[in-house]
Amino acid sequence: MKKVLVFLLMVLATLFFAAVKNPDTIVDATIGEPDTLDPHQAYDTASGEVIYNVYENLIQYKGESLTEFEPRLATKWEVLAGGKVYKFYIRKGVKFHNGNPLTPEDVEYSFERGLILDPSDGPMWMLWEAFTGYPSLESYVKAKLGVSWSEMFDENGNLKPEYHDKLVEFYKLYIDPLVQVAGDTVIFTLAKPFGPFLNLLAQSANWAAILDKEWCISIGCWDGKAEGWWKYHDIRKEESPLYAKMNGTGPFKFVEWDRSQQKVILERNESYWREPAKIKKVIIWGIDEWSTRRAMLEKGDADIAAVPTQYLPQVEGMEGVTVIKPLPTLIVTSLHFNWTINPNSKYIGSGKLDGEGVPPDFFSDEHVRRAFICAFNYDEFIENVMHGLGRRLPTDLPEGLLGFDEALLDDPNAPRFDLDCAKEELMKAWDGKVWKNGFKLILLYNTGNDVRRTAAEMIKTYIEAINPRFHIEVRGVEWPTYLDAMRHEMLPAFIIGWLADFPDPHNFIFTYYGSKGTYGSRQGENFRKFVSTPTPELGGKSLDDLIAQAASETNPEKRKELYIEIQKFAMKHALGAPLYQGMGFRVQRTWVKGWYYNPMRPGDDYYILYKSEK
Amino acid sequence: MTAYIIRRLLLLPLILFGVTLIIFGMLQLLGPDKLLAAYVNPNVFDKLSNEELEALKEKYGLNDPMVVRYAKWLNGVLHGDLGWSVVGKTYVKDALLSRIPYTAELALYAIFPVVGVGVWLGIVSAVHRDKFLDQAIRIFAVVGWSFPDFVFGLFVLMIFYSWLGWLPPGNYSDWAEDIIKSPNFHHITHILSIDALLNGRVDIFWDTIRHLIGPIMTISWLWWAYLLRITRSSMLEVLNKEYIRTARAKGLDERVVINKHAKRNALIPVTTVGGAMIINLFAGTVIVEVIFNRIGLGRFVAQAATQLDYAAIMGGALFYSTILVLGNLIIDVTYALIDPRIRLG
Repeated sequence: MKKVLVFLLMVLATLFFAAVKNPDTIVDATIGEPDTLDPHQAYDTASGEVIYNVYENLIQYKGESLTEFEPRLATKWEVLAGGKVYKFYIRKGVKFHNGNPLTPEDVEYSFERGLILDPSDGPMWMLWEAFTGYPSLESYVKAKLGVSWSEMFDENGNLKPEYHDKLVEFYKLYIDPLVQVAGDTVIFTLAKPFGPFLNLLAQSANWAAILDKEWCISIGCWDGKAEGWWKYHDIRKEESPLYAKMNGTGPFKFVEWDRSQQKVILERNESYWREPAKIKKVIIWGIDEWSTRRAMLEKGDADIAAVPTQYLPQVEGMEGVTVIKPLPTLIVTSLHFNWTINPNSKYIGSGKLDGEGVPPDFFSDEHVRRAFICAFNYDEFIENVMHGLGRRLPTDLPEGLLGFDEALLDDPNAPRFDLDCAKEELMKAWDGKVWKNGFKLILLYNTGNDVRRTAAEMIKTYIEAINPRFHIEVRGVEWPTYLDAMRHEMLPAFIIGWLADFPDPHNFIFTYYGSKGTYGSRQGENFRKFVSTPTPELGGKSLDDLIAQAASETNPEKRKELYIEIQKFAMKHALGAPLYQGMGFRVQRTWVKGWYYNPMRPGDDYYILYKSEK
Repeated sequence: MTAYIIRRLLLLPLILFGVTLIIFGMLQLLGPDKLLAAYVNPNVFDKLSNEELEALKEKYGLNDPMVVRYAKWLNGVLHGDLGWSVVGKTYVKDALLSRIPYTAELALYAIFPVVGVGVWLGIVSAVHRDKFLDQAIRIFAVVGWSFPDFVFGLFVLMIFYSWLGWLPPGNYSDWAEDIIKSPNFHHITHILSIDALLNGRVDIFWDTIRHLIGPIMTISWLWWAYLLRITRSSMLEVLNKEYIRTARAKGLDERVVINKHAKRNALIPVTTVGGAMIINLFAGTVIVEVIFNRIGLGRFVAQAATQLDYAAIMGGALFYSTILVLGNLIIDVTYALIDPRIRLG
């Protein structure tokens, strides 16, 4: 009897005080898998997370800060020549995972290899912009040699002989000098001061990871020579020797990327130059079905899980699970308009203001734009659709970055939910024709993106309530159709999010409001003309000029003023509606310890984590 | 019969050519702008300018005319290269080969409960026509047939994993993965449970089976209702035939009547349906693969189709067409074996 009792007690004890499962291993149940493991091609957070833990950069963010830095592979650094030259002292005694020592030559090679590769769908444009002021290798070549990249190659992709010497020379004159080894240091030379340059180099920026030159060359990467460098430019992802191979200096060694299971396995680097990590093995596992991820988290088979916002209530209060929130992210979701819709668009009905459609330049009228901005219930959306995990913004510049000013929300032109305003503006729009004739248009979203769908439906509901002659159809299409429509400026208006590449206002302001910004350039010819034309309102400058001036301003106070001026202009002319700044949350087993938040970090830093019941 | 089989096999390349040509044509009709979607990660797309997207189109040869692209693809196939799969993030050949053994393993183990139990239920139901047992089985069939498969899969996962902790998702446990991927573990058949036994690892065998039970239960549920109804109606039809009456009038034992005379004839239509089902099993079951997080063909090809990953779609089509042709051939041969009236030729 006694034995039975003891046994029962033991069973109960294990039930109630479940011990830490797999104390040496972290299983991260996530969604999807990396695009590539090549640091110079990766431009998504799933890839960035793996690279973050295996490779290292020269510097890193200090804890949770976005503006302070600490040494990593560099021991210290100096900023010289008024912000045009950066000198990094390279750490000694660091070894790559294959045993090769880290040298300053590795640093030079890493950056040059990336600048040369510069994939058309990759992140290297940031370094190109910082180094030269040009957004890509190809645009820089064209500026310096006067010939476009494609002209230099024949139809088989071979370099025409007459350009051979020119390109060899180009490397020597324009690429090689950007990053130079000087003794134990590496010197970066920029065309002009670039405020956020250190952000571009800090751990989290996978494009600035340090590679092992000797190893890279041995597996078929660029050989470090001027001759033939162009063959390594803009290669396909799968053609990169670094696509599924890694050799860094980081706290974890790459073991395997099992693509049939969407699983990446890392193991502790025992000869790491800092203290080895506390965790021995990391499994980053893409499990697409939420119910499966939830069950694994519940059983303790997953330590960290990706939880879609709508399922957050399912894990809050789950035994042994901790939810940490809210975490301010650097993601802004906004509504923007196309001022010159492609006349062939299927989404503007008749293409005329006859009640059966809208003209292509419908949104070039400020009244129309403002009416749409007033017809969105921001607070309601954040509260109910985002489960409170969002904050309102005056413009597309998120909180946490220079130039963000809460007071701007009180500006009379700030976006706000006001149906009277929407009605008034629509009565004024197009000299009253909109009100009289009505209009019809289609707002698209890509299926599966519920936030976009709900936002579009909200606009539809309010606009249609104002006047029965107003008709908006919200239509879901597959991703390929959405992509195609967006590219060809077919969408009358679009809801889109931007995740910071680096924590600087320029990354948002230029993107949304610059005529050459990624989103700015998608808002139609009339928009581009509007923001690039000088106006007395901005002291004879264009908005583009002001954005460029703010980017190169080195005095933070002055810089902030410039960004406020830009934002006031954007609000006054109803350039777009920032719907919300996303607030994130983290879901992990309570036994996971050591975690802290940094909004720039792609995924987890497994080095800081450990598992303990206490 | 041999001549018949050879003739059918000779037709295979022609069928494959036709199928791929049609699929390729349909994909190309979408135009390069839509096909570009396969090469752009939706999360990265937000970051790309129009010029960059245009460059991508050129980089992946999407602007080439259809004939050129098909010729390139066909040339690759003839040289054993099925192209690169954007979705699989590897070569199509490797993506398929790494998944086929797992799908086949599941199919192999699922066949027995699916066909065995399904047919047995159908026969029991027919023999006990309109009695309690028949009614009970028929209710079970209606419920089963109308119950969404993914809900049933989730139930299995919740009960047997979340509550009881018996049947975890995935293909094998973490500890087993280390052994399976170690150089000492020999992959002979590539069917993991069999390889485990051949390597003398009974623990891994059981681990694999443990991971298979949930998916098999779900698949069985999907097919039982269907199969038992086919068997039942076919059995009822046969039981009303004159030769059965004769057999009974002859004073034969009821068990002999059912087993020897009725069953064999009733199973002919069941062979058709069952054969199609087995072919289906080898094509992979998306729902089961997603819910139980298993490696499998179904999920891969479905994902490739939504992302317009043309190389993977074509590779999948080649595989499925082959399976279909071979599967149907086997069904035809089985007919001839069951039913002496059928002569292949």
